[in-house]
Amino acid sequence: MNLQLDDFWSFYEWFFRPGAFLESAALKGIVLGVLGIVLGLVVGYVISSSRYGSGEGFFAVARAVRDLFRFDLPGTRIRRIVALARLAFKEAIRRKVLYVVGLFVVLLLLAGWYLNPQSDDPARLYISFVLTATNYLVLALALFISAFSLPEDIKNKTLYTIVTKPVRATEIVLGRMLGFVAMGTVILVPMGLLSYLFVTRGLDHTHAEVADVRELASGGFEGETDYTRFHSHHFELNEDGEGVTDMVRGHRHVVTKNADGSFRVGRPQGALRARVPSYGSLVFRDRSGNLQEEGIDVGNERLAGGYGSAGIARLIGVAHGTRKIEHGYVEGGGLGTAEYTFSGVTKDRYGSSIPVDLSLRAYRSYKGNIEKGIRGSITMKHPSKPIESNPIGFTVNEYEVDQKFLPIEVEGTNGNKTEMLNVFEDLVDEKGRMTIVVRCLDDSQYLGMTPASVYLRPTDHSFAWNLAKAYMSIWLQMTMVTAFGVMFSTFLTGPVAMVATAVCVLLGFSAEQVYDTRHYIDAGIERGGGPIESMVRLLKQDAMTTQLDVDTVAAKVIKTADAGIVYTLDAIATALPNLPKMVNTAEFAASGFDIFGALLARHAVATLGYVLFAFLISYFTLKAREIAA
Amino acid sequence: MDTDNSTAVAETSEDSTPTTAKSSDSVVIETRNLSKIYRDFWGRKKVHALKSLDIEVRPGEIFGLLGPNGSGKSTTIKLILGLLFPTSGRVLVFDQDASETRKNERIGYLPEESYLYKFLTAEETLDFYGRLFDLSAAERRDRVKQLIELVGLQGAKHRQLKEYSKGMTRRVGLAQALINDPDLILLDEPTTGLDPIGTREMKDLVLGLRDRGKTVLLCSHQLADVQDVCDRVAILHQGELKELGRVSDLLKVQDVTEVHATGLDDAAKAEIAEVIARHGGKLESIDNPTATMEDLFLNIVRESEARPGARRVSQSAEANDAASGSSSDGDQA
Repeated sequence: MNLQLDDFWSFYEWFFRPGAFLESAALKGIVLGVLGIVLGLVVGYVISSSRYGSGEGFFAVARAVRDLFRFDLPGTRIRRIVALARLAFKEAIRRKVLYVVGLFVVLLLLAGWYLNPQSDDPARLYISFVLTATNYLVLALALFISAFSLPEDIKNKTLYTIVTKPVRATEIVLGRMLGFVAMGTVILVPMGLLSYLFVTRGLDHTHAEVADVRELASGGFEGETDYTRFHSHHFELNEDGEGVTDMVRGHRHVVTKNADGSFRVGRPQGALRARVPSYGSLVFRDRSGNLQEEGIDVGNERLAGGYGSAGIARLIGVAHGTRKIEHGYVEGGGLGTAEYTFSGVTKDRYGSSIPVDLSLRAYRSYKGNIEKGIRGSITMKHPSKPIESNPIGFTVNEYEVDQKFLPIEVEGTNGNKTEMLNVFEDLVDEKGRMTIVVRCLDDSQYLGMTPASVYLRPTDHSFAWNLAKAYMSIWLQMTMVTAFGVMFSTFLTGPVAMVATAVCVLLGFSAEQVYDTRHYIDAGIERGGGPIESMVRLLKQDAMTTQLDVDTVAAKVIKTADAGIVYTLDAIATALPNLPKMVNTAEFAASGFDIFGALLARHAVATLGYVLFAFLISYFTLKAREIAA
Repeated sequence: MDTDNSTAVAETSEDSTPTTAKSSDSVVIETRNLSKIYRDFWGRKKVHALKSLDIEVRPGEIFGLLGPNGSGKSTTIKLILGLLFPTSGRVLVFDQDASETRKNERIGYLPEESYLYKFLTAEETLDFYGRLFDLSAAERRDRVKQLIELVGLQGAKHRQLKEYSKGMTRRVGLAQALINDPDLILLDEPTTGLDPIGTREMKDLVLGLRDRGKTVLLCSHQLADVQDVCDRVAILHQGELKELGRVSDLLKVQDVTEVHATGLDDAAKAEIAEVIARHGGKLESIDNPTATMEDLFLNIVRESEARPGARRVSQSAEANDAASGSSSDGDQA
């Protein structure tokens, strides 16, 4: 899993972006709020002045705003909200939404048909399957129940008997939202439990037989397990008859030798986990040993993207260029290194060894020894003093997380002396920091890494809790979609409200593509252009990197119109919630990484902001509309 | 019918309020120059549903809005409730603008058709509306029990409304309108869908509400009902107010005298005719009065409830003959 720039931000950094306030979520929230208020007032004024005339219209708008703060918010009662929420809940139940859980069960039962049993990483497959299925089912459901309910109530006139009671518009909106969110929760909880069972039971297996057991000269044993579920393990036991197998397909088993000479293979371990990484800061050194911000670019085309993290700054054209973190490469043979400096390296956190995970890329500039992987080394080093351990070699395992344990007592050099070093005493500075230096050992081959490629792993969280957090993220998305659905349904008919919400969701999902297109237009890069230009290219069957092959005036017109469309789309997409980021928490769970609390907190705050926004819009439209019209 | 036209649109006589008004609420509902134009999506005028309506409803009276379909009765009620916004003019309810939500604390509304949630039972429905008035659980329990007894749905309170007959739904609708013990009750066609007994009960209930000092505004085209219960009526036609006044005044036929007597034979009747002729009067008819179909029906049902199983074929046949001439239940005017 390749983390992006904003994934590393703490909640505070995300919210305020110290030093770059234009990129901050706080600013985006403020701008959205102000925009919402201004637009609301203008639209409200236009509507009421067409209804009452221009002077009276002004008072009508002023009255609506005054009513909100003077009567409707203070007059809002929990009991009424709960009553309306319960009604919405019952109504949703009556619409048989619980069938969705049934559909989910069917999906799980038939999962064997389309989940590849020979996958290299079955845990990822299973987890991302259940999370994706849940996510889309629940979002679709939220879309349906939220968009249709209010228009239905207006059509059936059941709303007449409600609004003629002392029910505030605030309560109608909140009641709906809460009712549907409660409904979604009731659906999500069993889906979550089923998912947990499906994943844990689905991955559970053991190997009944062992084969080729040989006694080792040192007194232990080694052997192979049988071939079950398309894989087998190699294991080594010590002289007491205890040991573990190697990692295959993301898991290993404990193997013990019984008293009667038979071997017992335990349950799989390590497949379902939630690593809690401690990331460090990364600098590179080139082949002459000079410090560099970035590693060597081995010619992978720089991908566009990551613009979303630039917030408002990008929209107003202050932030340029890609913000996607790419792998930087370290050359073997010279003085090139990648240096990660980690903080908080203390005895309390790590104890008897320091777990470090590597997920590196290898780039071969020549074929080399194709039988072997590219070799690298890890050196533990004091951040400022010339004290370092002897290098610990490894062979790169591409596309896998390579788990290593660094010893606490290690031989190394202190200045010119060679001696035994203690990591906590000799290699960690007074602030608890330690540097890990990664080198490539093969001449003219390259190792690629990002700040997320090497991390210390002080602890693991439980997988169940991580899955629960992934479900919370889905819950937040559902809440957001529900709020939007209710908002649109206050002034649109059911199907139209649903389409409008769906458009918002889809535009939210494709925001990065819109940002890309905007970037290409701004930078004058030929990448197919906007929608009209793309259409022309499609019809003419032109490649997207060529010049647009029409006459100058036509090209000008097309490009200008396209720019207008793309800029508008860009503004809308920027205003919408960043759903792909929220869906991405599933990737964390599937890759076996703990979903950072900060990430969830950010999503929660963003959700709250958008719900508040939708709530205000809904309130005013509901106030302004004639229920009986 | 020959009506007294002295009570015209701008009726101002103060003596007509049956109970003494509270000083703060001398007028419960006031419409000032109220107009409503329905427009289509493009803002083009579709219907001029209500034209400059000025009415006042006073505390403690039963006010009837009459008119054929499409005359603006329902529009008026919706404007009073704030379900629609006036195109021009104002509606004041308890001295507050009709768009204020807070006025609803004191209002009960029975819509034209009972727009209730069909998947709730009667008890759940009433409990739900009780919650909307922010009543405590104990209050709700009492009110719900009371109202279910009042509208006679004890036997069906646990059934979902979708299983209810129209009359039963109507009763639940009425019960929900009364859940907050309102001061002003708006009834939109209260008797449609009710059988004669239900109609009678509804009328008694409305009269009972007035006796407890409530104000009732009802709109209907069941003229007999309006005549039976209303203190004052406004007659609307094509969105315009055509007549407004006390029912007794409007219906009094000034130069006709009615005499009810029993035990007279034909000779006595002839004598009376003579007397009338002597005074220069003109005898229009002298006849046995006919009972209304409603009276007949109610008599039969009460009899049957008192003595189940018994049949009054001869009597009922006789009564049927008598009543068949004039069906005063008056479905339509």
